[in-house]
Amino acid sequence: MDTAIKSTNGTQSFMNQSTAKERADRVDPYGFERCDDFDYESYEELMSEYLVILTRRAIKWTRLLKGKRKVQKNVKLKRYVRKGIPNEHRALIWMAASGAQDRLEKNPGYYQSMLLSHHDSKLVETIRTDLHRTFPDNILFRKTSDQCLLKALYNVLLAYGHHNSSVGYCQGMNFVAGYLLIITKDEEKSFWLMDALIGRILPDYYSPAMMGLKMDLEVLGELVKLKIPRVWQLMAEHNVMWTLVVSRWFICLYIDILPVETVLRIWDCLFYEGSKILFRVALTLIHHHQAVIEQAQSLPDICQAFKQITQGPFVEDCHAFMQKIFTEPGSLSMATLTKLRTTCRGRVAEGEP
Amino acid sequence: MEDYDYLFKIVLIGNAGVGKTCLVRRFTQGLFPPGQGATIGVDFMIKTVEINGEKVKLQIWDTAGQERFRSITQSYYRSANALILTYDITCEDSFRCLPEWLKEIEQYANNQVVTILVGNKIDLADKREVLRQRAEDFAQAQSMLYLETSAKESDNVEKLFLDLACELIREAKQNKLDNNDTAPMPGEGKTISYLNCCSLN
Repeated sequence: MDTAIKSTNGTQSFMNQSTAKERADRVDPYGFERCDDFDYESYEELMSEYLVILTRRAIKWTRLLKGKRKVQKNVKLKRYVRKGIPNEHRALIWMAASGAQDRLEKNPGYYQSMLLSHHDSKLVETIRTDLHRTFPDNILFRKTSDQCLLKALYNVLLAYGHHNSSVGYCQGMNFVAGYLLIITKDEEKSFWLMDALIGRILPDYYSPAMMGLKMDLEVLGELVKLKIPRVWQLMAEHNVMWTLVVSRWFICLYIDILPVETVLRIWDCLFYEGSKILFRVALTLIHHHQAVIEQAQSLPDICQAFKQITQGPFVEDCHAFMQKIFTEPGSLSMATLTKLRTTCRGRVAEGEP
Repeated sequence: MEDYDYLFKIVLIGNAGVGKTCLVRRFTQGLFPPGQGATIGVDFMIKTVEINGEKVKLQIWDTAGQERFRSITQSYYRSANALILTYDITCEDSFRCLPEWLKEIEQYANNQVVTILVGNKIDLADKREVLRQRAEDFAQAQSMLYLETSAKESDNVEKLFLDLACELIREAKQNKLDNNDTAPMPGEGKTISYLNCCSLN
């Protein structure tokens, strides 16, 4: 067994020469470059266990799908989804579960027509500003890559902006569309998945007034007050607005907040079960790290704590994490959520200037 | 108790893509990453500097530039001691939006806030669209300080934050600002619906 020695600058050196770094790719399977302080040792250990799970799940999924391109939503499929969709079936299941596949089939040529329509120059400009600022750490989003996704990203965002002109383009949608392209490798599918997410699954997070976002952040506050009152108390004492610490969680649907594999597992449930999952994740992160958050003595401490709780082994072990989100925060019924959303939407609307 | 003589809150605002995050990262971490992702919502960093033997803690708030995020980010203006209003010297549009930003400041910031106008990206001199004189005149007419910077080349970035800190200390000493014990906390005094709690009633 290797003995890790923590050196003063926080890097680890090993008594026995380790090769975990040499064995792993510098770039992950989705094109993201691993950061300099990436912990290859823990990653290898984690992956060796996760690969067993992935293999077992893959066999079960193959048996379930039997080469079919259509799936019916049912309790069994829901259970399967919660345990993770194998990457090769992700696009298929996301498309089927979210209704995106139906829309695509019922609207042949629609996506292309959105691209051919007259381009709103303001929309074009806004999208262009963020194009090169989307996943600079991902090799697929560099002009130099031979499988460069930048043009596809531009197309999907432009088509969506025209398709839903009341939303147009909102910062954050670039990251969402980027992830969809990484997984589906298909512009039209990504477009219809955007349509499912923004049009049906999520409340109006990205519209100019961002009412749905403000509402859901308020709902989260209420849920924390109910389930983790000491954290709520702390936030109130230090006048910390939920918008400060968690707006990115909701706008980016945990992209760049949690590890890629964990985000994809969350999205499996997001497409199948809906936006409630976003609350389960947030509540689990906060509940599990209650003690860490409670140590904070100032607003900066709290901000720091909310960044810290999205890192480390707890979130990297995506399989265990996904089990936790269904147990740790306790019950969260759709009825409760709907009721809270109604109350909070009213409150947010009243607070508007 | 934390060890500092002054605590100031600085908020960066300005159009998307003008380089707000790069200015912050250059100053706080000494970095100019080849790629910087778009900022979503609000981000927060801290740096403590020493000026004339006094420790000054700077809370730096970095905001998303897109217009629709303003209803979220403007909650942070009120308790700001200073605002860094940033535009991109290679982008006329980002300059033309400044009056709009000033309106935001007038409406949401406290009236003692120190505002500095910053023209960023001077390393791209051949792409300049906004002449320095024009920006200086504009800043003067609005009683703002003005500085041109390059986060990439690290030009004037240190100066920006240190000058701002000096100015804030000067004002604090003139009792224009309260000392750090009573510096307003972010969000203080606002009716914030996210905190419909007894502490605000």
